[in-house]
Amino acid sequence: MSKTVIIYSFHTQKSKKVAEKVIEVFGEEDIKAINAEELTAKDFEENNNFILSAPTWFDGELPNYWDEFVPELEEMDLKDKTFAVFGLGDQKGYPENFCDAIGILVGILEHCGAKIIGKIPAEGYTFESSKAQRGDIFVGLPLDQENQGRLTNDRVSNWVAQLKEEMK
Amino acid sequence: MNEMEVPKIYSIKKTDKETLKKWFYLMTLGRLIDDKAPNYLKQAIGWSYHAPYAGHDGIQLAVGQHFEKNKDHIFLYYREMLTAMSCGLTAEEIILNGISKATEPSGAGRHMSNHFAKPEWNIHTVSSSTGNHTLHAVGVARAIKYYGEKAVAISGQGESSVSEGYVYEAFNGADKEQLPVIFVIQDNGYGISVPKKDQTANRKVANNFSGFKNTRIIHCNGKDVFDSMNAMAEAKRFALEESKPVLLQANCVRMHSHSNSDDHLLYRNQLERNYVMDYDPLAKFGRMLIKYNRFTEEELLEIEDSAKVELKAAHKAALSAPDPAPESIYDFVFPEAYHSEKYPDGLHNEEGEKKKLITGLNETLKAEFRHNPDTFIWGQDMANKDKGGIFNVSKGLQQEFGKKRVFNAPIAEDFIMGTANGMSRYNDKIRVVVEGAEFADYFWPAMEQYVDTSHDYWRSNGKFSPNIVIRLASGGYIGGGMYHSQNIEGSLAAIPGVRIVYPSFADDAAGLLRTAIRSRGLTMFMEPKALYQDPKAATVIPDDFEVPFGKARIRKEGSDLTLLTYGNTTHLSIEAANRIQKEGGNVEVIDLRSLIPLDEETILKSIQKTNKVLIVHEDKVFGGFGGELSAIITEKAFKFLDAPIKRVGSPFTPVGFNRILERAILPNVDRIYTAAKELLEY
Repeated sequence: MSKTVIIYSFHTQKSKKVAEKVIEVFGEEDIKAINAEELTAKDFEENNNFILSAPTWFDGELPNYWDEFVPELEEMDLKDKTFAVFGLGDQKGYPENFCDAIGILVGILEHCGAKIIGKIPAEGYTFESSKAQRGDIFVGLPLDQENQGRLTNDRVSNWVAQLKEEMK
Repeated sequence: MNEMEVPKIYSIKKTDKETLKKWFYLMTLGRLIDDKAPNYLKQAIGWSYHAPYAGHDGIQLAVGQHFEKNKDHIFLYYREMLTAMSCGLTAEEIILNGISKATEPSGAGRHMSNHFAKPEWNIHTVSSSTGNHTLHAVGVARAIKYYGEKAVAISGQGESSVSEGYVYEAFNGADKEQLPVIFVIQDNGYGISVPKKDQTANRKVANNFSGFKNTRIIHCNGKDVFDSMNAMAEAKRFALEESKPVLLQANCVRMHSHSNSDDHLLYRNQLERNYVMDYDPLAKFGRMLIKYNRFTEEELLEIEDSAKVELKAAHKAALSAPDPAPESIYDFVFPEAYHSEKYPDGLHNEEGEKKKLITGLNETLKAEFRHNPDTFIWGQDMANKDKGGIFNVSKGLQQEFGKKRVFNAPIAEDFIMGTANGMSRYNDKIRVVVEGAEFADYFWPAMEQYVDTSHDYWRSNGKFSPNIVIRLASGGYIGGGMYHSQNIEGSLAAIPGVRIVYPSFADDAAGLLRTAIRSRGLTMFMEPKALYQDPKAATVIPDDFEVPFGKARIRKEGSDLTLLTYGNTTHLSIEAANRIQKEGGNVEVIDLRSLIPLDEETILKSIQKTNKVLIVHEDKVFGGFGGELSAIITEKAFKFLDAPIKRVGSPFTPVGFNRILERAILPNVDRIYTAAKELLEY
């Protein structure tokens, strides 16, 4: 089995910190980090298991590094590849678009035939609407450093454990 | 109607290279000027107001690319330099505007920099009041729909503007009338330093209006060229095909301070400033052009170089352009008034049946609607079956001229006034008459549009004349209390650019109304409502009567005292003068008819004869129009005066409702008589 790849922007601060936590829990030897700002199609072709960081920017947008990659991504064939997405959001400041970027990215990945893992029950958050939510579940892991920073470590640990199970 | 699909017509992979090149060139040139603008201020050349657009690049490019000049109508707010360029303004025109040269296209340096316009292309002159032009966009869209043209009106505005009440009025009116207007809300999260959360609870401010029945709401990423182009294409398609409004909210970033008088370091931390700089739309577009192999870095550098060359030439040409001449300040204060061949002094000797003042107004309106098919009227209570206007002045108009020319407006005075301004922008043949409010007392909410409309002709250096007559039922003597008795002409007379008339007899009302409707420009037409049905005001009215502006009428000749008056008090003054006549005194009563322009010649000529002046009006003495009359006379005719100038009017109080209070406040014959007698004794 090839290494799991984690893709996040090395240029960020908060997302980078959370990504490093994911790496730590996952086990550094089992995961390879790729800078989202230097991402190429080849990175997707050569790997099978992905963890993506998709923080929500502004009022419910993908960060520019993902947005710029979308025209390429949406034409890829991602059958037989597995993706898990986490992302930072702000339930209080942006309750109408809490972690929308997770939902937007997952939608594109699904359209390309990818298998999505790491879905969690939509519990323990307070917001108005989110593209990451479908019924009672989130299609990825929402994290809120602004309002629930203390929960992040546990959420990451539980999620990574869940991923490891789902990747078996 | 909010979540319909936006087709992806444009994309980094599909859009042809020439188009991409044009966009990149425009965006690069625009940004070069945007970044250079503050230098003009630093070098004391000009451009003291510059609101940088950086961060709005995607949506501004898109809006301009969808504007068809001489067909669509567009209103740019002060942060829309790139929209202006994308509409077709050249770099030189932008800089000419920035440094306020006589040849700049919006109005020869009369308006603040960064208010880009070119009225001859339908890039309209706009106010600095945020969202003010939403009402103009609705008004011109009403004309587009009426005349059956396949075009749209576009209003550019910031997201904070939706906090303004008149913006709500515009959205509501466009929705109700189903008009092809696109409101492009460029959301950068701030109104100067005020964050969006202090404006409204909903971050997606357009969604505040999701209950509107006919309005489509579209959201897009205003920082992204393709998302913006697709959203704007869909907005225009929808507005054109459905003839319905669109609220297009484009999420942008403000990369710099609000303007060069603001410093965002005072309220944005480093993290936030980095965050918005990271999403520089121009840098993103450039990265994508290279990433998707549409251009090489060398090709982009070549485009940048040619933009620099154009900027250098534009800068040089603009610096050598002429400045406006100081003596030009009196140009374009008023557009041409209608010239009366037959009644040059607004007098007649017709005999026959007398008609009431209300009949004179009603018949003149009908005659003018027959005379000019491009005449429209709206207002509160304008038309519903047999009701025609709050006092039935417009009775029968809708039956004769139809619901598209004669119609009710919502209770929104600024909307009534603002859409009149907007509709008259469609072409110069259009004449709009509005009942500005149910009573003059309720006109105050329209003041924002009134003031702006008063500026239009001057501000555009004569390129746009709002051809509007505002009718207002004014004054008291009906037991109406403080909200049905106000005289507002004293306050309004302080605002240049508007003619103000206030007739007191039926023939003058008819003649002045005809002149006002046939003239270019804005006229405030005050109707003394207490005289609508009063036999005292009834006269014979020639069918074609015309009263030119600025022509007073001597209602009673005399040699001992000049009494200047207008409106309701004309009749009281004549009565007082007649009483004095019986006692051997001889008072000349001059009915001013027009306050602006004022017939100074007739006034001064009379004073040379009588050497004494009494000014009478219904409005308060303090701050009333009589103060201005008094000052003019003191300055120009002091040597002829044998007595102090006296004024009779209301005390400095509101008008009370109880008739006892009303009588104690409003002028009457006895008070005029007493004041005249005092003067005659000098």
